[in-house]
Amino acid sequence: MKHLPKHLQPRWRYLALELEGWPDAEIDRRAFQRECWYAGQNLLGDPGSAAADLTVVRFDFEDGIGSAIVRVRRGETEPARAAIACIDEIDGDAIGIRVRGISGTIRAGEENYLGRRRQESKERNVVFRNEERVAVVRDGSADVRLDDAFVGATDLDCSFA
Amino acid sequence: MYEAVRAHPEGQSTVARLAKLAADYGYEGVVVRNHSSARADYDAGGIADEYGIDVVRGVEIRADDPEQASGSVGNFRPSHTILALEGGTNALNRFAVEQAKVDVLAGPMAGGGDVNHVLVKAAVENGVRIEFDLSGVLRASGGRRVRAIQSLRKLEEIADYYDAPYVVSADPHSHLELRAPRELRALGEEVGLSSDFIEDGLAEWGRLAERNRCIDSESFIEPGVERGRYEEES
Repeated sequence: MKHLPKHLQPRWRYLALELEGWPDAEIDRRAFQRECWYAGQNLLGDPGSAAADLTVVRFDFEDGIGSAIVRVRRGETEPARAAIACIDEIDGDAIGIRVRGISGTIRAGEENYLGRRRQESKERNVVFRNEERVAVVRDGSADVRLDDAFVGATDLDCSFA
Repeated sequence: MYEAVRAHPEGQSTVARLAKLAADYGYEGVVVRNHSSARADYDAGGIADEYGIDVVRGVEIRADDPEQASGSVGNFRPSHTILALEGGTNALNRFAVEQAKVDVLAGPMAGGGDVNHVLVKAAVENGVRIEFDLSGVLRASGGRRVRAIQSLRKLEEIADYYDAPYVVSADPHSHLELRAPRELRALGEEVGLSSDFIEDGLAEWGRLAERNRCIDSESFIEPGVERGRYEEES
């Protein structure tokens, strides 16, 4: 079908999101899209989520850290923000999520809000609570592996072995 | 704005990690509100200096009945800036709002607890802040979430009528459960609490901490009377 004339095309806003999980979290785009739509539907209802759209247009998640861009209809950004804040786990992996900014184009969103984070993570041996542990260290934060779970810590809590 | 957090060992992140992320999210401070049975071990001053965020020493008392709660209030009041009491039964809710030594009644609607006009009036009289816990909206689903939203709205209607003091928290147990103030405000709008209401509730933790620190400081004698700096007699 012929595309719409420009004045009839919907006005989109793009939410630039920052994602964070434990180092062993594995999240793919399909699962994230599903959670976005579920969250929208659960909080905003069918009409609200239809109005908000919430389509994932960019997604990247690796080693427990990632970013995404979600498309939202102009004027619905606050309900969309609320819905996205309610995503707390994806396929059983706990996830932290934050809206870094909103922009009118995908490119502007990527350039203005998602550019900076690409700090490499490193596995280090640390001493946490007087016991030697393995931690995934990145940018002053350390996810310390305990026997069956991780603990979020920083370099203030650990001494590096 | 402040957020009240549960740190390791009760939660999954240390105070430092929570403070680091909270500072990044734009909070001015965090209140550590671990339960009295799982208190965190941390250096509030060091963390505050490192990340540029206020770290407030708090405690949340969990008790089975008012008698036990009363003992704990006496024990923990002198050493903690903010003292919260976990409600959730009618007897404990009532005890908390009638006790001026308690700063915050946490989770009054959790479990089988309920709040009515009598309790809210008592809370106003004793200056006990009622907590609006957003964790049920953020992290529950289905019927539990519906009930959480219903109880928040009920609480808001009563608290608004009597102009009761309140605090708002998302009750994060790890840095992943922390949400930025703007997200919480947007969420508030969706569930029927205005964004100003949420902002005010988050800021109230800070005002509470400031007031209690002032009372605990050495120059404080009684309300309105403070020891100032005077000229030395020669």
